[in-house]
Amino acid sequence: MITLKNVTKRYKLNKVDTITAVEDINITFNEGEIIVLKGASGSGKSTILSLIAALSKPTSGEVIVDTKGISKLPDNFASIYRRDNIGFIFQKYNLIPNISVQENILTPLIPLNLNAEELQKKLHFVMEMYKIEHKKDTLVRNLSGGEQQRVAIARANVNNPKIIIADEPTANLDEKLSLHFIEMLRELKALGKTVIIATHDPLFFDLDFIDREIEVHNGKLLL
Amino acid sequence: MSSKINFYLLEFAINSILRERYKNLFITIVLTLLTFLLSSMFFITNSIKYELNATLDSLPQIIVQNSKAGRHYDIESSKLDEILTISGVSEAVSRVWGYYYFANADVYFTLIGVDEFEEQYKETLSNLTPKMDFTQDSMYVGKGVKEILNSSYYKEYFNFIKPDGSVKKVNIAGVFDSNTELESNDVIVMSKENLREIFELDESSATDIVVKVSNLNEIDTVALKIKQKLPETRVITNEELRVSYENLFNYKGGVFLALFIVSIFTFFIIIYDRASGLSSEAKREVGILKAIGWRVEDVLKEKFYESFIISFFAYFLGVSMAFAFVYLLQAPLLRDVFIGYTDLKPSFELPFVFDIQTLVLVFFLSVPIYIAAIIIPSWRVATLDADEVIR
Repeated sequence: MITLKNVTKRYKLNKVDTITAVEDINITFNEGEIIVLKGASGSGKSTILSLIAALSKPTSGEVIVDTKGISKLPDNFASIYRRDNIGFIFQKYNLIPNISVQENILTPLIPLNLNAEELQKKLHFVMEMYKIEHKKDTLVRNLSGGEQQRVAIARANVNNPKIIIADEPTANLDEKLSLHFIEMLRELKALGKTVIIATHDPLFFDLDFIDREIEVHNGKLLL
Repeated sequence: MSSKINFYLLEFAINSILRERYKNLFITIVLTLLTFLLSSMFFITNSIKYELNATLDSLPQIIVQNSKAGRHYDIESSKLDEILTISGVSEAVSRVWGYYYFANADVYFTLIGVDEFEEQYKETLSNLTPKMDFTQDSMYVGKGVKEILNSSYYKEYFNFIKPDGSVKKVNIAGVFDSNTELESNDVIVMSKENLREIFELDESSATDIVVKVSNLNEIDTVALKIKQKLPETRVITNEELRVSYENLFNYKGGVFLALFIVSIFTFFIIIYDRASGLSSEAKREVGILKAIGWRVEDVLKEKFYESFIISFFAYFLGVSMAFAFVYLLQAPLLRDVFIGYTDLKPSFELPFVFDIQTLVLVFFLSVPIYIAAIIIPSWRVATLDADEVIR
């Protein structure tokens, strides 16, 4: 369960000026839910995802995941929290373009220093699940947009996280590939993952397997 | 957290180097060249220092010279007897020596005359004298001299041209060894009689007189006494010679310092460039790694491996090349900057001197500095919010 309690996030524009990205947000995401955060660009959706993933810290308020406050975690603990709990699918995939598919997928596991057998097992599982095994030795920069996204999803799932966060996942995909992605979300739900998606793509609205759609507007939730 | 070496991280670092192979190749080449230059200069300096110290140790305690119009001139042999009367003097030997210009090879040789029954002032000469046949017109030559004479087809003898234009033929009896190359390389040893003939120096004159004292602490006192007794002479102690040799060497040391500063300056420009920040692509990569669960220490470890591999490889290559350049190839071009503090040109071999301190110094002047130049900006980026870096 993820709870945001009175969360406000302000970014410094310069020494004097700040901009409020989200203000006094209170919300709870239940385990196994798929939630869509919808709203225009700059509404604060990505900031909410970033706070849940401990990629940034709230200016005030608290983010609680499974009874543990993560908003004030020291940097190293925040990294461990992400590694153990979060799979992040970025809008621009954020893959490392000049290494192979399998190297990209394995990157989150490198610091764990697992044995080769375990590593191969995890790799094989996600590559098969997201149908990218045939491209495992291809450099990521030589993949199509859809393939890159499959790699990004495989990487997000390789450490078997319980929370998947997707920021504008279909922004760079055509409709066919977007629908394919939506099908993959259905599979994630079947696996019992909590999935939070920030998007303004109408394809995500009114889907039967989506538990909640939450409108974000000017840094506030319209519940 | 496992304490064993994370080979996946090491592999990632190697792949990371290969990903930017052209940039890293350029950096490796520059670092290698700088390490090579720095090591070469240190190796040459070490070799010369070694030679110089050995040469200085074999210097006479006191040299008495005559001068005329401010220039070194022949001294009357009779002054030897006057010097021997000074208390504290244990021995005094008149020396006959000088330089001979061999125009064919454009080099100067140092000619030293010895007497069969005379006490020698140098160990090298003491070892050599018993081998010499004083009944023949023969000479022993240093290795460098032998090479030059061979190349001019003087394999068995050499014709010295005397000041009056006539020729004195002297046979080469052998090549002599010495503790130091500097001392012996350009030297020719023959009987005083032959040398006097070549230099047209009469029996009553010598080039200078070397003096040995019984008590080493009294060298300055004895020198002063000689000066008082023979005010027209110039008296030089081994300490004064040491200073003048060292001054000459330090002058070369200045040239070395200039090269050293230039290379260090260049190195620091590169380091400054690296330390002033990572490229946007590199920053983004650090942000991605943070976002997918890498800790700051994981990022820094990876950057450490990356920079260590590059800098240690460059260090190893640079030092190995310097070893080959200095000790196998005898440092062509660069050694002329250091050697040549006399006008002599016969070949001079840089002796192999292994000094671990030099290797450690070059290591600390290259590897940790480069690592720091990579680690510091990476640490700055890695400690920012990953969100901020990715955006």
